[in-house]
Amino acid sequence: MSVIDREKISDFLYEEARLLDQPDLDAWMTLFTEDGTYWMPAKENQPDPLNHISHIYDDRVMMEIRRRNFIHPRSPSKDWPIRCSHIIGNVQAKAASEPEGVIVVTSNQHVVVWYREEQRVYAYRGTHVLIPTQNNFKIREKRVDLINAEAPQRSLTIYL
Amino acid sequence: MQRVPDRNFDALVTPTKLHRSLYTDPNIFELEMQRIWGQAWIFIGHDSQIPNPGDYFTTNINHNIPVVMIRDKDHRVHVLHNRCGHKGAKVVEARSGNVRGALRCSYHGWSYRFDGSVLKIPNETGYDGTGFDGADPCYSMQPLAQVQSYRGFVFATLSPDAPHLETWMGGARECFDNLCDRAPEGEVEVAGGVLRYEHACNWKFILENLNDTMHPMVVHESIVKAAEQYIATLPADAAKQRREAEIIPPFGASYENFENSGITGFDFGHHYDGGKTSIHADYSVDPDYHAAMVAAYGEARTREIYAFNTHNVCFYPSLTIKCAIQNIRVIRPISVDRFIVETWSFRLKGAPEGMLQRTLLYSRLINSSMGMVGPDDLEVYRRTQEGLASPSNEWVEFHRQYGRDKTLTDRVIGGGTSDLDMRTQYKAWKGYMEGTLFSQHRTSLHNGE
Repeated sequence: MSVIDREKISDFLYEEARLLDQPDLDAWMTLFTEDGTYWMPAKENQPDPLNHISHIYDDRVMMEIRRRNFIHPRSPSKDWPIRCSHIIGNVQAKAASEPEGVIVVTSNQHVVVWYREEQRVYAYRGTHVLIPTQNNFKIREKRVDLINAEAPQRSLTIYL
Repeated sequence: MQRVPDRNFDALVTPTKLHRSLYTDPNIFELEMQRIWGQAWIFIGHDSQIPNPGDYFTTNINHNIPVVMIRDKDHRVHVLHNRCGHKGAKVVEARSGNVRGALRCSYHGWSYRFDGSVLKIPNETGYDGTGFDGADPCYSMQPLAQVQSYRGFVFATLSPDAPHLETWMGGARECFDNLCDRAPEGEVEVAGGVLRYEHACNWKFILENLNDTMHPMVVHESIVKAAEQYIATLPADAAKQRREAEIIPPFGASYENFENSGITGFDFGHHYDGGKTSIHADYSVDPDYHAAMVAAYGEARTREIYAFNTHNVCFYPSLTIKCAIQNIRVIRPISVDRFIVETWSFRLKGAPEGMLQRTLLYSRLINSSMGMVGPDDLEVYRRTQEGLASPSNEWVEFHRQYGRDKTLTDRVIGGGTSDLDMRTQYKAWKGYMEGTLFSQHRTSLHNGE
């Protein structure tokens, strides 16, 4: 795909958000490549996920574990239903310098979360590294830079 | 809310039971802030956070008293009240940073040396003949009553009567030694940032949970099962390479395993579980790390350092450390039903970088507010906080293995699934609240006990 189709990219982000809103982690995980990662840094402009602490840094194995834990009947923090509402804006896309075909998408995402009798708001700068497939995309990296990454956080049992 | 006692807490704390108001009564919380957090040695930070002159780190020493830890030009570390001697504004606002020359209040420009003494008061002639004495220490940024450190871990206390830090730590001090000795160079340094986790419940729940070994197989059953089930589907080679496979499953260890790990309690409320073994004991040893350790200490001493394997070591009431993991958690109460936990990770000096990465992986998996273990712990604390509003039973019990603890010279030891940790910390809680802990300690020393 030589021309970046922003509408198609936005549709992909909306579909991802729909799966997280429900949430349907089983379907959401399939959006990732086999080497896909989800990263929520704990610091502004954090350079890497391994030599500095992060709130979350999951590869597919950790996603598989988290997905199973999410629905396990003996996880007290998951007894409370969780529902989310993502609003996505300011979507910008550009071709990655390499490898060819890879697209880097940034977006602003506001997520309202209902959990434990309380409604909260998260806001983040999202960065998706997308690999085009025949008809769609796969996520190789999703980076979630919360605007309050350094703040004391409350328990969060879902991906944003 | 019942009337809070002043000097005798027998009605609220017995050797096997606590009154529920300890968790719910704001007046008891206020007294705790004065008498426990106002007397005990409170962990402030590690001196590696401020390596250079003018480097500072700010925190509160209890729920609201702001302090700043700062290194002076002679490399001495000070902990000062973060309050301008003039009108009272906080002088240092950022959480950390470096200040050049002098600390300067942003309100009227009073400036201070790094030891807290006044450097300059603008337009000072206005004070001439007014009786104002700029040399009076009350106009400085005053140092805390006592500031001491042990192997880089800086503590301060609001109490001039607290015993020497090492006396206060007692035998639990060995755990700081073990943490630092796990570095080939014998020193650790803060690395990889901090996680801050808000807890909507009373601050004492986390300290009670640290060495409560009757809860992991219940509270953490789901993540242990989820991890084990998924890892079992991986090819054996792939499973072996997953550090998560070493970290998560031991949270589901049996009652027998936890019983065998033992609990050790000390004066002033400190306690740990493990020692000979713990849920961290079966981690694989990185061969490069092992080689660096053997080069530094020799094989026998290296084995001895590994063999002392504790799980959580609580320095009551503000700090818990994990020697085998190299992370610490710092507790700060906010109100009767709210507190913050900070998780800091440490680099072992002289060890391969992979060791820090393992520490950070652990902090992220277990201690993050979005982790696999922390949210389930917090959920049960919150249920306890809410359940204790019920007057159906005024008491929270901790009878497990009561009467079976063994008292040694400087410590008490007992079964790993006992409530020895509860007996230890609430003996100190009561001593602090009744104002007798330090005087009793001095008396027992005087009598040669």
